[in-house]
Amino acid sequence: MMNPPAFWQNGPAPGNFYSFPNMQPQMKPEESRQHSQGPVTTSTSILALAYDKGVIVAGDLLASYGSLARYTNCPRIFKVNNNIILGASGDYADFQYVKEFVEQKIITEECLDDGLFLKPKSLYCWLTRILYQRRSKMDPLWNNFVVAGIQDGQPFLGTVDKLGTAYTDKVICTGYGSYIATPLLRDAADKKPQLTLDEARAHIEKSLEVLYYRDARSFPKYQLGIIDVDQGVSIEGPLEISQNWNVAYSIKGY
Amino acid sequence: MFLTRSEYDRGVNTFSPEGRLFQVEYAIEAIKLGSTAIGICTSQGVVLAVEKRITSSLMEPTTIEKIVEVDKHIGCAVSGLIADSRTMIDKARIECQNHWFVYNEKMTVESCAQAVSNLAIQFGDSDDDGAAMSRPFGVAILFAGIDEKGPQLYHMDPSGTFVQFDAKAIGSGSEGAQQSLQEVYHKSMTLEEATTSALTILKQVMEEKLNSSNVEVMTMTPNKLFHMFTKEQVEEVIGRLSVEHPVSLNVGGSQKV
Amino acid sequence: MSLALRPSFPDYESVSKHNNFNPYSDNGGSVVAIAGDDFVVVGADTRLSAGFSIYTREQSKLFPLSANTVLGCSGCWCDTLTLTRILKSRMQMYQQEHNKTMSTTACAQMLSIILYYKRFFPYYISNMLVGLDDEGKGCVYSYDPVGHCERRTFRASGSAGALLQPLLDNQIGKKNMLNAKEEPVSKEAALSILKDVFISAAERDIYTGDSILINIITKDGTTEETFQLRRD
Repeated sequence: MMNPPAFWQNGPAPGNFYSFPNMQPQMKPEESRQHSQGPVTTSTSILALAYDKGVIVAGDLLASYGSLARYTNCPRIFKVNNNIILGASGDYADFQYVKEFVEQKIITEECLDDGLFLKPKSLYCWLTRILYQRRSKMDPLWNNFVVAGIQDGQPFLGTVDKLGTAYTDKVICTGYGSYIATPLLRDAADKKPQLTLDEARAHIEKSLEVLYYRDARSFPKYQLGIIDVDQGVSIEGPLEISQNWNVAYSIKGY
Repeated sequence: MFLTRSEYDRGVNTFSPEGRLFQVEYAIEAIKLGSTAIGICTSQGVVLAVEKRITSSLMEPTTIEKIVEVDKHIGCAVSGLIADSRTMIDKARIECQNHWFVYNEKMTVESCAQAVSNLAIQFGDSDDDGAAMSRPFGVAILFAGIDEKGPQLYHMDPSGTFVQFDAKAIGSGSEGAQQSLQEVYHKSMTLEEATTSALTILKQVMEEKLNSSNVEVMTMTPNKLFHMFTKEQVEEVIGRLSVEHPVSLNVGGSQKV
Repeated sequence: MSLALRPSFPDYESVSKHNNFNPYSDNGGSVVAIAGDDFVVVGADTRLSAGFSIYTREQSKLFPLSANTVLGCSGCWCDTLTLTRILKSRMQMYQQEHNKTMSTTACAQMLSIILYYKRFFPYYISNMLVGLDDEGKGCVYSYDPVGHCERRTFRASGSAGALLQPLLDNQIGKKNMLNAKEEPVSKEAALSILKDVFISAAERDIYTGDSILINIITKDGTTEETFQLRRD
């Protein structure tokens, strides 16, 4: 890089107006590396529930900029292939980055044309390794991913967070939903271990509604991803959360 | 053998049309110039005996070291280019210590031979962080050791091939000595018998007269592990030779170089 | 100029802001192991949690490494996932390189070294390695996150470790009891103590609960058992 001559002798170089004594020498741009400090444009909870023959995943379409409801049509549940649905909450840009290379992998795989397709457990493990590697570089991808799919005829539901913490369960909710929706969905799953698709859908919709009342970063437009042993993958939406605020008038004292 | 010598013997990783690597074969030939070393494995332990070529009376015989300790439970006898052998012994020692460091257990004799073999075949490979070794090692090694499988003897040649033996001879007198070993060896041999047999055979294939300063003897036993014979102990074995082993072994004198 | 007098102008700081990302999380979990003369039992609760959330109620924290070696992990779950994968591949590499299965004692030393190699960015895990030693005796190795290792006959570690160890000292080590001295425990006694202490832990520790997974290792191999705990 060319160093411009100083504006005047013994003075600071352009851009370096404050050159105080005893200050640490300024880092040159090429020496520093930007690590993400935190999420910027964020999306809120993902709700997911495994039922007898598949998995249902839901998430709204909002991407917030802090408390500002900035973008209102940001889908974050997508079909990976006929075996997998991937959902994400957290930083939307990081999600788009991951979506891009996951899709690229699927394209590369399709080009092989060997009749083999990525399986949910493989994607789940792969994402875990990627997120763990990024956290180990202190440069995490600020997301919670939910991998839903069918493997060997069985529903699969797993999640990975920004550290690479990964686990599978019948009920998985991220973000605010882990506090509000998880107990509702676990209760439903415990009462009837083999839910049908319609029942699962009803529980998810109810949870979305409750979540919408309480989560200030949520939005009434959402998408629903369903992966079913018989019916395959479908991504529905934008759908509208049913809402009834009549009760709000009776809440006083806040 | 090498009458059809051609351009194919220049590079260490160039195969000849017949599928041979001449440089490796030449390295194996180099061993046949080396001093003889004999190893015998018995149920009681392993014995190694090597000849030391004292080429001048002004030479200090104790400074020639052809049997070395790799670890307490593994010893090696070498024949060929002794300088090359130092590198390999170093490797063996490091691997044994590393194994102990990581796993807190003795390295097995086979694994030790495997580790050295991995080094031996690295000739001709070059990668980003190191230049290649320009040629194969000109060394044959006998590994004598004791691990959970009991006493064991392994032989390795410059190609990196290693094989377990009950008894094995390497070096200039190896052809005759190997034949003699085949006649002498039996499964129920005691270590003492093996020691005397080893020296008897060594005596017959050596050019110089065998004495306590031109041989090295080592035993590997479960109790004492690596034990190098003192001059007195060697003399004691030599003393037994003529008395106990009157059998004239069929050793041809033609293979001496 | 003394250090205290050095001027500070935060607005003009040229070095990057402190990165407040925390690469670790405490996912709780407790592991208890008791060794006898010819067996060892190890139990771990199946709750995976963070803060006031329960991630899942059925996460096994016991990892069989060979026919007679099991590793129990608690602490940072993402590190546990990574470490156990590394160990699994190291076990396989050892098997292939040396044509034998790694012994529990060898594995114990290897684990210590793997942990210490990350001394300055440790795996934040309380490890407990159990198995049978070369003589067939039960052994329990417990570790700190940077690889300090010690062999014991019984040990509690993880979120309820500090709660349970004195209980084990008393019940198995016969500490602070009049006219009682330590003697080898039977497998049945060890199992019942193990279950009892987990019931106690689940009462007081919010990071321990749901159920326990127990592995019983004898010369004949490993058997599994589960036991329910309170789920609140």
